[in-house]
Amino acid sequence: MKKRGFGYGCIFYGTGYGNGFPDISRSIAELDTKGHINIYVGATEVGQGAKTILGQIAAEALDVPVEIVTLIHEDTSITPDAGTAAASRQTYNTGNAVKISAEELKKEIIVVAKGLLNEDHLEISNGVIRSNTSDKTLTLKDIAEASGGGFLRKDGIFQANTTEMDPETGQGNPYWPYTINAYAVEVEVDTTTGIVDIIRAACSQDVGRAINPSLVEGQIDGGFAMGLGYAIFEDINLDKGRIKHNRFTNYLIPTALDMPEIEKIIVEDPESTGPFGAKGIGEPVMIAAAPAILNAIYDAVGVRLTEIPVTPEKLLKALKKREG
Amino acid sequence: MKTINVKINGENYTREINEDMRLLDFIRDELKLYGTKEGCGEGECGACTVIMDGVTVNSCMVMAFQANNKEILTIEGMEDEKGLHPIQQAFLDEGAVQCGFCIPGMVLSAKALLDKNPKPSRKEIKEGISGNLCRCTGYNKIVDSIEKASQYLEGEDQ
Amino acid sequence: MKKNLEVVGKSVIRVDGFSKVTGKATYSQDLTMDNMLWGKTLRSTKPHANIKLNLTKAEVIPGVVRILTYKDVPHNHHGVVFKDHEVLSSGRVRSIGTPIAFVVAETEKIAVEAMKAIEVEYQELEAVFDPVEAMKEDAPKVHENGNLLYHYKLRLGDVDAAFKECAVIVENQYKTSMVDHAFLQPEAGIAYLEEDMVVVCAATQYPHFDQLEIAEALEVPTEKVKVLNPAVGGAFGGREDITMQIHLALASKLTGRPVKTVYSREESFVAHSKRHPMIMSYKTGADKNGKLIAMEAKIVGDTGAYASWAINVLRKAGVHATGPYEIPNVKVDSYAVYTNNPFAGAMRGFGATQTPIGHEQQMDMLAEKLNMNPLEIRFLNALKKGSKTATGQILEESFPLKECLEVLEKAFKKDAKGVE
Repeated sequence: MKKRGFGYGCIFYGTGYGNGFPDISRSIAELDTKGHINIYVGATEVGQGAKTILGQIAAEALDVPVEIVTLIHEDTSITPDAGTAAASRQTYNTGNAVKISAEELKKEIIVVAKGLLNEDHLEISNGVIRSNTSDKTLTLKDIAEASGGGFLRKDGIFQANTTEMDPETGQGNPYWPYTINAYAVEVEVDTTTGIVDIIRAACSQDVGRAINPSLVEGQIDGGFAMGLGYAIFEDINLDKGRIKHNRFTNYLIPTALDMPEIEKIIVEDPESTGPFGAKGIGEPVMIAAAPAILNAIYDAVGVRLTEIPVTPEKLLKALKKREG
Repeated sequence: MKTINVKINGENYTREINEDMRLLDFIRDELKLYGTKEGCGEGECGACTVIMDGVTVNSCMVMAFQANNKEILTIEGMEDEKGLHPIQQAFLDEGAVQCGFCIPGMVLSAKALLDKNPKPSRKEIKEGISGNLCRCTGYNKIVDSIEKASQYLEGEDQ
Repeated sequence: MKKNLEVVGKSVIRVDGFSKVTGKATYSQDLTMDNMLWGKTLRSTKPHANIKLNLTKAEVIPGVVRILTYKDVPHNHHGVVFKDHEVLSSGRVRSIGTPIAFVVAETEKIAVEAMKAIEVEYQELEAVFDPVEAMKEDAPKVHENGNLLYHYKLRLGDVDAAFKECAVIVENQYKTSMVDHAFLQPEAGIAYLEEDMVVVCAATQYPHFDQLEIAEALEVPTEKVKVLNPAVGGAFGGREDITMQIHLALASKLTGRPVKTVYSREESFVAHSKRHPMIMSYKTGADKNGKLIAMEAKIVGDTGAYASWAINVLRKAGVHATGPYEIPNVKVDSYAVYTNNPFAGAMRGFGATQTPIGHEQQMDMLAEKLNMNPLEIRFLNALKKGSKTATGQILEESFPLKECLEVLEKAFKKDAKGVE
């Protein structure tokens, strides 16, 4: 018999290293001789989109087209340390460092422009330096050339706010900011085979501010898939310290056929300490998926599975036990 | 040693190869076409997918000599003088790419599917890429891309 | 002056997308160099043993250039927090998969052949695989200082008194599995020399930390190590701990030639960290209206043979054990424990992924006992802006839990239920 059920899960997630550990990102913003912007950061693009959104942050802070911004992150000998691509920290921490370096570079560009134009009220708009009081303009290339053919370079450094907790009571402010994630899922359980099918899902994801909504959505889909695997498939299956599921023939991860459509809702509540209000989401997007699925299984068949993954064998055993 | 003639991305190659060489190694090590990836080496993940005589194969499961007198398409053969193939363009436009390691195989599975079935349903798309594992994207935007690619290709035909 | 955002908030097409859809993106297995050697890692096949190596048969195989053992490593330690991993085992292995030797040969085939020809004599030691067993006094010791690596304590209010006030209490034990990141790109890397600098190109989450660890192990100044980070085929925490980077750097330094290695999927499974499996005992109580009054949790996390991020992970589990709810009386004890299992480390969610398996089911069970809707009990207890967490942290801003639940409820009306 096939039975359907609904379940919810919600979580909070403290981003960053936490517990007072120095959580520092560094960035260098540079105007090169072509009038293009280079951002140097030692942040890894692991697929999450860091390379894209850090460029967007720099472009926004400088008010230049995103196309003229290049992220350079692949070489330790030319990039400053931006910490690890983990703890959902690159958007918030390195994003802040990039924003600070870009803002400093912008100030420097304006200083050079003031000297060239003999005007005091200047701003950058879409990559062009304009006067507020006349129709004089300068390009970024003009600024680069006026700087003697050298590069204008400015540093940005950001340190996250975290304190060490009391060792006896655990009291303190270990993380900041916190990101919220909530999932709702509908499952269909086949009580004959024990197979759980995820019929549909919805996600509401707190982002502070979405730097790139499409990338946020991609993270949600991917996070849900990993949570789905965690809930019903994945276990390396240890036998006296030996991994028995050590290949894709026996360590099952979700395929396209296992994934439901997900209604993705991005909730924006800008965080004042984040770059343009943004917070990290890379881990939170996964977390509430598995508990929502477990609650939905209970709603469908009335048994609580307290051990994951809920494989067909485990589920059938639990159903049988209840019938007793 | 064995001699094989194989047409890859429209070009003919004649090579002496060891009999135990996999097609994947032939493509990567002999022809230096590194777009075809190895994710598991046993035909489970689909990262090494190529199209051989119109059908997708896991190139880690095919011996190079089995490709003798066959025609193969790898990811490097998808672009033409006009630029990206509509499937590649759709993957970009729909944000289907994250780490990218599965993408060459995904694109080729999508091509084989759309060649046979130009207007697949979402379920048919999911079936068509079910042999290609992806750990980053949760597949939904890849499915969106293949739907979009179907539209792009239909537009091209008109 | 507040201006509208021009670029932030736009779904700009990802800058690395073009190279990835065309197959031009370079991952570390796609790199080859002239005069390049191949490396293969010999790993322990026993979970706990003293070992003796005999390289004689392997060394004489034509094409074998060098076999690295612990004797070749200037500083034979690495690790993200404690330096409790050896680069190559000096005599005692604590888990299956521990690197023992690194064979460097002219071809990959020869390297594999030589690796198989190394004789390893294992003198097996008593091992422990269950973290609860491992916490007992008389359990086999994985490391000299005992198996209890870390204990996080969270204390708020008085749980014993508070449980007496509860109208409903639910108590359960939850267990989570040890899982793998299963990123699609198996580990691969290449190292070479640029004059007296060693360059390592490998997929990593933190190039500057790798640089530091390589420099420490080789006992060279940091500026004599360069880490290049090409396209990375997924990570999810599994590329935080060093795998092959030091082996490659050392091999290249000692042979003067470029050295490459690529892990198979099976080797990838034993080489990198795992998600900590946790045993979580939860007791949660509420008053008759559903307001949470007390929560007690004991969490035991199995970190396997090495510490990696265990302290941080079990701390994070402890801090997040309440879930996003305001509870005035909380007692959490979380423990990180060594066993002879594969080592656990960072994985997406980092300890905060395990605890919701417990707290979210507890919430639904309380709701059922109180005849409440699962969302209702969450709304009632939700942390919000201005709330204080169990660690005493005031949530000063941007904590839109209620908003998230409201939009979710709207999006997912229960009356859409298909089969009754």
